[in-house]
Amino acid sequence: MPEQPYEPEGAIAGTGMGGAMDLGASEATTLERAPGGPPGAGPAGKPRSLWSDAWRDLRRNPVFLLSALVILFLVFVSLWPSAIASGSPLGCDLAKSQDGPGPGAPFGYDGQGCNVYTRTVYGARTSVTVGVLATLGVAVLGSVLGGLAGYFGGWWDALLSRVTDIFFAIPVVLGGLVLLSVVTSNTVWPVIGFMVLLGWPQISRIARGSVITARQHDYVQAARALGASDSRILLRHIAPNAVAPVIVVATIALGTYISLEATLSYLGVGLKPPSVSWGIDISAASPYIRNAPHALLWPSGALAVTVLAFIMLGDAVRDALDPRLR
Amino acid sequence: MLLDVRDLRVEFRTRDGISRAVNGVSCTVDAGETLAVLGESGSGKSVTAQAVMGILDMPPGRITGGEILFRGRDLLRMKEEERRRLRGAGMAMIFQDALSALNPVLSVGDQLGELFVVHRGMSRKAARAKAVDLMERVRIPGAAQRVRDYPHQFSGGMRQRIMIAMALALEPALVIADEPTTALDVTVQAQVMDLLAELRREYRMGLVLITHDLGVVADVADRIAVMYAGRIVESAPVRDIYKAPAHPYTRGLLDSIPRLDLKGRELYAIKGLPPNLSRIPPGCSFHPRCPMARDVCRTDVPPLYEVSGDRGSACHFWRECLDGGEQ
Repeated sequence: MPEQPYEPEGAIAGTGMGGAMDLGASEATTLERAPGGPPGAGPAGKPRSLWSDAWRDLRRNPVFLLSALVILFLVFVSLWPSAIASGSPLGCDLAKSQDGPGPGAPFGYDGQGCNVYTRTVYGARTSVTVGVLATLGVAVLGSVLGGLAGYFGGWWDALLSRVTDIFFAIPVVLGGLVLLSVVTSNTVWPVIGFMVLLGWPQISRIARGSVITARQHDYVQAARALGASDSRILLRHIAPNAVAPVIVVATIALGTYISLEATLSYLGVGLKPPSVSWGIDISAASPYIRNAPHALLWPSGALAVTVLAFIMLGDAVRDALDPRLR
Repeated sequence: MLLDVRDLRVEFRTRDGISRAVNGVSCTVDAGETLAVLGESGSGKSVTAQAVMGILDMPPGRITGGEILFRGRDLLRMKEEERRRLRGAGMAMIFQDALSALNPVLSVGDQLGELFVVHRGMSRKAARAKAVDLMERVRIPGAAQRVRDYPHQFSGGMRQRIMIAMALALEPALVIADEPTTALDVTVQAQVMDLLAELRREYRMGLVLITHDLGVVADVADRIAVMYAGRIVESAPVRDIYKAPAHPYTRGLLDSIPRLDLKGRELYAIKGLPPNLSRIPPGCSFHPRCPMARDVCRTDVPPLYEVSGDRGSACHFWRECLDGGEQ
C-alpha cells in the first residue's frame, strides 16, 4: 500500500464532529423516553403504562444493562476519544510497522506503523455516527411515509407499498458498490444517505402496519367523533400507540448499519483513508493476518462487540415492549 | 326537529359482495327526546349511528342514499371541515367499551381537556380545570387528584362516566350512545343509565340510545325504533310497544326477556339467525324466522304501515300482531 500523505487530525475530526454531537443528543432522548413514558406520567412507578412497565422490565434485565453499558461507553469514546487514547490515529511511524504491543500502544502497530489502540478508539466515532444518523434518518423518513400510508390508505398506500417492494429487491452490498463508487466525497454523509435510501422501506412497512392496527382502535374513532382533526388524531392518538415497534426495529437496525458501514469501507466504497473507520482498518490489516493478527483482531473485535451491543439492546427493548411476553 | 334521518342507505364492499348494512332507515329525534334503537347484533344500529356521526370508515363503507338532516341541514352535503367542527360541539357519541374508547397513553384529564383545546381554543391549564369540573359533574370521587390518572386506573363504571363526561363536555344538542352500559356490571349499569338520563334532562339534549337490552329501554326512552336487517321494522312510543307490539320481531324480542313469573320454563328465543347482509331474503327480510309468515311475505317488501299517528310497523299483518297474533 502506498504511503498516504497524512494530515493532522483536524481533517477527520471535522467530518465526524457534527455527527458525534447529534449522536449524544439523540442517545439521550432515546434513553429518556423509556422511563418517562408519555408526558405527564407523574411520579415514577405509580401510573402503569406501556412505557413505565417496559422501563421496569428493562432495569432488571441483565442483557439490557450490559448492552446499555457498552453503548454508553461507545458514546463516551466517540465524543471524547482523546480521553482514553493519546496521540493521533494518523500519527504513524513506518519503522514500527507490525510491531507488537509497546508503551502507549497496548494493541500494537499495524502495517503502516499506526497505533492500533488509537485507531480503534477513534474508529468508534465513525461507526456510532453512521449508525445513529442513518437510523434516525431511516426512522423519520420511514415512519412519516409509512404512517401516512397506513392512516390515509388509498392510492398513496398502494404506490408506497409497490415502491418498498422495489427497494427490497435491491441487494444492499451490490447497490452500495454501484451507487457509492461514483461518489468522490470522503465523508460519512454519502454512506448515511445510501443507508437511508435503502433502509427506509423496512421501517415504513413496520410503521404502516402498526398505524393500521392503531387506527382501528375505538379511541381513534372516539377522538374523531369528538371533532379531532386528522393531524391531531395522528400525532396525539396514533403515534404514541404505534411507535413501539418502530423503536424496536430501529434499534436492531442500528447494529446492522454499523456493520454495513464497515463492510462498505472494507470494500473501498464507504469511507476511504485518511478517514478512520474499523472497516478501513480491517481491510488494511487483512493481508498481514499471519504476521500481525493483532492489527486485524482489535478493530474486528470492536466492531463485533458494538454490533452485538445494539442488537442485544434492540432485543431487550422488544421483549420489554411486547406485553405478551410478560 | 333536531335530527331527521330520511331513507338512509349504507353498503359495505366485502369479499362476499356488497353487504347492505342499512336499507332505508328513517327516524327523527326531537330536542330533549330519547329514542331507543333496538335490535340484534348486525341489524345496522351502530352503522346508522356512525353514518350520522360521520365516522364511518369509507371505504369499505359507502353511503348510497338518503339524507341526514341535523337542525334542518343535510350533513351528507356539508364540507368535511364544517362537519368536523360539529362533532363534539353539536353532536357527540358515547361508545360501548370505555376502556378501548379512551386512549391508553393519555391521562383522562388530557383527553377531556383536549375537547376544549380543539373546539374552544382554551389553554391547557384552563382545559385542565374544565376537565376536573366535568369529572365532578359525572360524580367521580376525588376528581382533582384523579385527573392525572390513566384510563386503566379507573373501574369500568368510572371509565364509562368519563366517556359520558367527554361526550357531554361541550353540551351538544344530540348525543348518540352506542350500548353505553353493555360492558358494565348490572349494578353499575343502572347508575350509569341514571346519570345519563339525568344529564340529558339537565342539558335538554336529544339522546339516541342504541341497545339490545329491553330492560334498559323501558325506563329511559320516550320512543323505540326496532331495527332488523338494516331497516326499522317498528317505531312507536315506549308504552305502546310494551303493551302490544305491532311487529312479530318486536314480539319475539319481548318474549325472549327472562321473566320471574315464568321461572322454570324454557326461555323463548326467536328461531334462526339474523340474515347475512349480503344475501338479505326477498320480501320481508324477517319472513324465514317469522311465525306469522305467509306467501305475500316471501315476495312483497312491507312498507312502514302507519299504525297510529306516531307509530309505524313494517309488517303486512300488523293488525293481527297487535291483536295477539298466531302463536
